[in-house]
Amino acid sequence: MSATFASFNSALSALRYHQVVMDTASGNIANVSTEGYARRRAVGETMGAPAVPAMWSRYDGSGDGVRTKGIERMTDPFLDIRARREHGNQAYLDTQQATLDRVEAGIGEPGPNGVSAALADFRKAWHDLANNPGTDAARSQVLAAANTLATAINNQSRNVSTEEADQRGRLLNTVSEVNTLAADLAATNRSIASAQVSGTDAGTLLDQRDKLALELSELTGGVARQNANGGLDVFVGGQPLVEGQRAGRLDIATGVTPSGAADGASVTYAVTGPDGSTAAPSEALGGVVGATTTLLNTTLPAYRAGLDAVATSLATSVNTQHAAGFDKTGAAGGAFFSFDPANAAATLSIAITDVADIAASSVAGGGLDGGNATAVSGELADAEGDYQRLVNVFGSEVSSVRRLAANQQVLTAQVDGSREQLSGINLDEEMVTMLQAQRAYEAAARVMSTLDSVLDTLINRTGLVR
Amino acid sequence: MAIGRVTQSMMTQRSLGSLQTSLGRLAELQEHLSTGRVLNRPSDSPGDTTSAMRLRSSVADQQQYARNAEDGLGWLGQIDNTLTSMNGEVRRARDLGLQGINGSSGPAAREALAVEVDKIRESLLGSANTRYLDRPVFGGITAGNRAFDPTTGNFVGQSGAVNRTIGAGPPVDVQVDGQAVFGPDGDSLFTHLADLSAALRSGDATAMGNVVGVLNGDMNTITSTVSDVGTRYNRLEAATQAAADAELSLTTSLTEIENTDLPKATVELQMQEVAYQAALASTARVLQPSLLEFLR
Repeated sequence: MSATFASFNSALSALRYHQVVMDTASGNIANVSTEGYARRRAVGETMGAPAVPAMWSRYDGSGDGVRTKGIERMTDPFLDIRARREHGNQAYLDTQQATLDRVEAGIGEPGPNGVSAALADFRKAWHDLANNPGTDAARSQVLAAANTLATAINNQSRNVSTEEADQRGRLLNTVSEVNTLAADLAATNRSIASAQVSGTDAGTLLDQRDKLALELSELTGGVARQNANGGLDVFVGGQPLVEGQRAGRLDIATGVTPSGAADGASVTYAVTGPDGSTAAPSEALGGVVGATTTLLNTTLPAYRAGLDAVATSLATSVNTQHAAGFDKTGAAGGAFFSFDPANAAATLSIAITDVADIAASSVAGGGLDGGNATAVSGELADAEGDYQRLVNVFGSEVSSVRRLAANQQVLTAQVDGSREQLSGINLDEEMVTMLQAQRAYEAAARVMSTLDSVLDTLINRTGLVR
Repeated sequence: MAIGRVTQSMMTQRSLGSLQTSLGRLAELQEHLSTGRVLNRPSDSPGDTTSAMRLRSSVADQQQYARNAEDGLGWLGQIDNTLTSMNGEVRRARDLGLQGINGSSGPAAREALAVEVDKIRESLLGSANTRYLDRPVFGGITAGNRAFDPTTGNFVGQSGAVNRTIGAGPPVDVQVDGQAVFGPDGDSLFTHLADLSAALRSGDATAMGNVVGVLNGDMNTITSTVSDVGTRYNRLEAATQAAADAELSLTTSLTEIENTDLPKATVELQMQEVAYQAALASTARVLQPSLLEFLR
């Protein structure tokens, strides 16, 4: 036997529930373009018979309406893991690509202004000198062409060094950003844990948690794992960085001094775990930090070493041949180029200032012979070949990174698309939900007025005889 | 890709992504057209970049070979002219010697012949010191400005090759050694002429006859040297032509690798423009409608 006013309560619960549904829809619409916001859905639940029947008393109602079971946050932890991984890879490749593009632009090949063109001009100048060993004009031309060549090589070396310095500065900033994010994530984990204890809606905190974890993955390629309290633990390079409510630190162990200078060693890291123990990463870091590490440890030094080898080969072979000849006064030739063997490309310069000191002649005693000038022009082929190979290898690397980044872009977009499918907000859908809730609200209100009129009939009209 | 649920921001992002891709292609074509080059950086095509660098280097080499050969042609042309005119003068001196031998002339007439021979010797010495670009062409690699001493007729140059590199093969020597063509000191053309003048003055017919014979030999040497110079001149001319041909074909190859195929790029640009406009139009239509417009 159901109670007289039971239906009133059912209708009231419906009013309340649909109010919540409309609130949720309005929240979704408000956050349609908020980054990191996952779609919410109000989940209703029928109130009915007790789940465990009592021994004697029987439930004889037909349902007591509806109640809000909770606000569901539409995410898929699996997709979130994929997204973090792909975003980490994307950041790794994008960072490399942006840097390599910059370095590549400084090479200026193939074209009329690169080292290759300067080498060709240098060779031509020697030929012209061989044709006119007596004229100072041809001699000055050799010095001018040599100067252009040395400057072109110096410039390239400086470009690479500048890029390395920029990357070191960026690494310091990124690492400090990583530590800030780790601390934020630990704080968010704490808030989530207390929200769960108090039973309040942790949706906004979870949004923030996912956003922070994604940013950490983009910066370090770190892997996040959900813990028992709803927070995310983050492992960077295989070592724990955030565990529950405590955050550790990522530090640069070697390679970059706190002022951003190089200390001569490769860049390595140390992760101080939340428990205070320090360990070196057991796997390579990814993301922006990983890309910067690769650039600083491998790519840029390799290019600079190649450039140094070209400069050394050029200077050594020219010097050897130059010393075999005789200058304008008939004395044996000295060194033509000077350089520091430890840093050849950056320090390559011309050792000769007086045009008469250029050893064009292969005959002692001051004859106007150009044999040695021709011989020197023939000595440039090795350096030229080395340089062409260097540019080729670097170009291949840039083009490979660009292709990989483009491929990764497709993959990342696909994963983002899948997440968006689940978590994104469709305005039409929200409109429909809102209309549905509105109609349901109206219907529940109508139930109330109907009941009211039913009771009116019962109370005010029963027994009245006209 | 299967799409379960579509959201507005998904469509916005995808549309933006497609527009970006389309615009990116447009920018790439624009770069090809505005720079006139498809090879703007090594990564555009590493292999082609290496080829382009090699070709550019080879073009520079060929240009230089042509320059070297032109310079050599100047030397040899100068030598050719000088030797030809010298040959005529030596013949004249020989004829004077023959006149002296014929004997009918008296001392005064022979003195006149001797004076002319002296003049010829002076003139020949002047020719032997001919300079090209301030360098005596018969003086080898001398840093001085004479090949022969103008009074004694002794060689004062420095023997040595003046080589011009005109290709990958062996270089061409563009000088003629003064001692080889005019004879060594003491037995040179100039000594012979001095001897002739002395013989004319003394009226020694035997000596005159000897000298005339020797002068014939000198003329032969000069003639054969002229033909040798001619051969080398031809070789340099052929090298100039070969370098020009090689430069042309190398430049053509370089253009094929480096430069934009304009008609192709223009058509592609047109197509890409159409694609971009289509993307813009569809984006505008797709992002416009909303359920709100139909709910009243």
